[in-house]
Amino acid sequence: MLEVCNIAFSYGAKEVLKDVTFAAKPGEIVCIVGNNGVGKTTLLKILATITAPDSGVIRAEGQDIFKYPLKYRRNLGYLQESPALYEDMTVKSYLKYRAMLKGEPEKRIRRRIQEALNTCNIQEVMHQTIGKLSFGLKKRVAIADAILLRPRTILLDDVFAGLDRTMRFDAKEIIKSVSAFSSVVLTGHEMTDLAKLATRFLVLSDGRISASISTESLNEIEIVSRIDNALKGVVS
Amino acid sequence: MRVTFKRTVGMVSKLYITALSIAVFFAGAATLFAFNLDAAEGTFSALAPLWTVSVSPILPVLAALLGMEVWSDERKTGRIDVLLSSPVRERDFVVGKFLGVWFFVVTSILLFLASTLAFLNFYAPKLAVSISVAGFLPGIILLILQGSLWSAVAIVSSALFRNAAGSAATTIFALVALPRALWAALSYWTRDGLERFGELPMDIHAFDFSSGLISVGVVVSYILLTFVALFVASKIISSLRFVGRNARRLRFSASFSLILSVLFSILAIALVYRVNVNFDIPVAGSGETRFSAHTRSVLEQARGSVSIIAFLERKDSRFRHVSHFLRSLKRDADEVGGVRLDIKYVDPVLDIAEATRLVREGIEKSSFVFERDGRIVHTLSIDEGYSERIISATIERIAVPFQRSSIYWTVGHSEATFDDYNPEGLSDVARELSLNGYDNKKINLADSNSIIGKDCALLIIAGPKKDFAESEIERLKSYLNGQAGNSDGGRVLVLINSLELRGLVNLLSSWGIRPGEIDLRGVSTMTGDDVIVKDFSEAHAITRTLKDQQVILYKPLGLSLSSSAIEGASGADLKRYSWLVEAGGRHLASVVECGSTRSDVAMRPSRLVVIGDVVFMMNNSLRSYANANRDFFMNCVKYLSGRDVMVSSGAEVDRLVTGMDRDTRIAFTVFSSAVFPAVVFILCVFFIVLRRRR
Repeated sequence: MLEVCNIAFSYGAKEVLKDVTFAAKPGEIVCIVGNNGVGKTTLLKILATITAPDSGVIRAEGQDIFKYPLKYRRNLGYLQESPALYEDMTVKSYLKYRAMLKGEPEKRIRRRIQEALNTCNIQEVMHQTIGKLSFGLKKRVAIADAILLRPRTILLDDVFAGLDRTMRFDAKEIIKSVSAFSSVVLTGHEMTDLAKLATRFLVLSDGRISASISTESLNEIEIVSRIDNALKGVVS
Repeated sequence: MRVTFKRTVGMVSKLYITALSIAVFFAGAATLFAFNLDAAEGTFSALAPLWTVSVSPILPVLAALLGMEVWSDERKTGRIDVLLSSPVRERDFVVGKFLGVWFFVVTSILLFLASTLAFLNFYAPKLAVSISVAGFLPGIILLILQGSLWSAVAIVSSALFRNAAGSAATTIFALVALPRALWAALSYWTRDGLERFGELPMDIHAFDFSSGLISVGVVVSYILLTFVALFVASKIISSLRFVGRNARRLRFSASFSLILSVLFSILAIALVYRVNVNFDIPVAGSGETRFSAHTRSVLEQARGSVSIIAFLERKDSRFRHVSHFLRSLKRDADEVGGVRLDIKYVDPVLDIAEATRLVREGIEKSSFVFERDGRIVHTLSIDEGYSERIISATIERIAVPFQRSSIYWTVGHSEATFDDYNPEGLSDVARELSLNGYDNKKINLADSNSIIGKDCALLIIAGPKKDFAESEIERLKSYLNGQAGNSDGGRVLVLINSLELRGLVNLLSSWGIRPGEIDLRGVSTMTGDDVIVKDFSEAHAITRTLKDQQVILYKPLGLSLSSSAIEGASGADLKRYSWLVEAGGRHLASVVECGSTRSDVAMRPSRLVVIGDVVFMMNNSLRSYANANRDFFMNCVKYLSGRDVMVSSGAEVDRLVTGMDRDTRIAFTVFSSAVFPAVVFILCVFFIVLRRRR
């Protein structure tokens, strides 16, 4: 379980996050929404321990992730907004490199790679150089990297950006399939797609979580409508 | 760390800049080596230090180009965030990437050594035979240490920049341009120049290590500085996380730990230098001087004790070579058990009391001072150059008792003269003769009052341009025949390069030698007008020890046996003919010994040595020690004057002689510094294209 308590962060004098608090349980898909520049990517970077917060505590399985960062990162899958991969490597060798980097024992690596390739449906391009793949396939490879070792925490930044309809559908299926054993936190702007995927929406505005919308017992239209209202309320 | 290392090797091996950097390294180092080899021809330089000091300045360029993309590309593409979210410490990433770059640097050094040895084996086989690969080991250790530090600095620079080119330019500026420019400026602007500052420390380290002088301080310094650089790089990567309000505090904390580590390193390095533990490893072919049989003979025959004081600043760039030279001389003296040598070093700045004593005696700094029984008996200026021959001749003069004898030089026919210091003069050989105990005197054979004295060990006719008069020829004949008050028979050395001297040519013909023009086409040459002579008679004492050496003659005359010689061979006037050197199938120097009976030839013959050239012993020709001209001349003199025992054993052993003529040298330079790097570049690009397509 991922617990985020009173996180604050600022770029110099500009306060981006003031007091962000939420929790994500295993099996939950938490979607953080908000206007551009509200601090969604910054929040995910903090959750990925790339950047340290000014104040506040983040716990994973009850332990402060900034006190034991290596242990936390071993169980972390992180997808950047724009996938940055090693273009000179083949898909398979890249996933092998990432698995080795995350400390997975060699005897299990082949199986893990095969699972990730199957889940993301990229077996056919596994021997191709990443530089020659389309944007959508690159994104799939990046998702495969994020879910590679069945991490307990998966952070996906703007997961549907740049994907066509089919790819978005596939991505949703992938995320659903891996969310059973992980806490998934994602961001994005494609409300319709996100509404079909997320178990809870957190509306981030003015550095705080202004609304928490559970998708349980709501249909997509209601979810999108409530999020829009929450966002408009902020604007007004 | 292992994963990052493998990834870095894989990444760097697919970059076109890698091909370019290796080719640039090969081209730069090979060019420097070719120039250094050319400049060192005939000097006491050993091959391993030459090679090491050629590689050392180019190494930072190689490290900078190989390491430029290692971090900057991660930052530019945004992959740094993926790395920072991985369960790996920054220092493990940094060390892994450093090892990847270092692997290429070390591989390039070893490949360059292999290519150099292969080229030398092909173009200078005579030199290659004497090369010991083990002799390169200390130099390679130093290069690996330097390569480590430069690679670590390249990693730091790469971590600082998003732009790879900026990273490479900064590294090259910091490691090559800035220190060399500063050093050059300091040397130029200060009064004492290089004498005050010496050479750049990294160049000195390269020379010292490759000469076998291993300093623990230097090793510790390079290792510590490498660690500091890696620590700095890991702190830079860590600081990429410092973007929030806490950034200032975190940056301060990181800077504080950096400053502490740098201070600790400086203290540790200072401590190690203070303790100053050095090892002098006698590595073959790495600057350890090995002396000739002649010098060892002199040391064996000399008696008593001789002190040699090197009055030279320790900062002087020549100090290391001087100390190596003297140490080796003492070792040889101790081995042969003759003279007892005592070696002292007096620094004009540091050893004030002893320096004051020497200055009061009128000794200038940069001198060798020879003392016997507490008295200064001889001084030699280091500035004017020193050599094994000069030092051994000095020891011979002051510690081996012998009677001085005279050499008479004919004058009056526009000969080259021993008191002429111009390039066409013979002052250099006259100095050598004087050092060996000969007095040089002039004689005008046309003047009847000018008499060849009983002290005449030898008469030299040095390249006359005007012919000898009949009366002079008669005097020469009677001297040669032992009828001029010299019952042992005369000894004459004729250096002739003109066929228009009828009288002299006829005299030589009557002794059985006929000079004539030779066709120089097809013979080995350096400039086109000279002849590189490599064929020496192994049967004769003069040339027996010159095997594998080369004598360079300038447009020489050929010498053949005349009809009188052929008749004389079966007549009562017994003459023995021997050729000394030949080129293109023609003899260029010959010896005639003459006596009335066979036993006379052996016991007290008249001796005539004829060489078809005089230019080979002029000051200009003896400037380079790469040839055996000096030895050839001195061997002739000693043979003719009856001092066969002390005949030199050819060019001094520790002189660097490649045996390459002009064409070979050009081919060596072009192939090693242009063609080979180009081939390496093309092969690397081909390999990279294949890897990228795979």
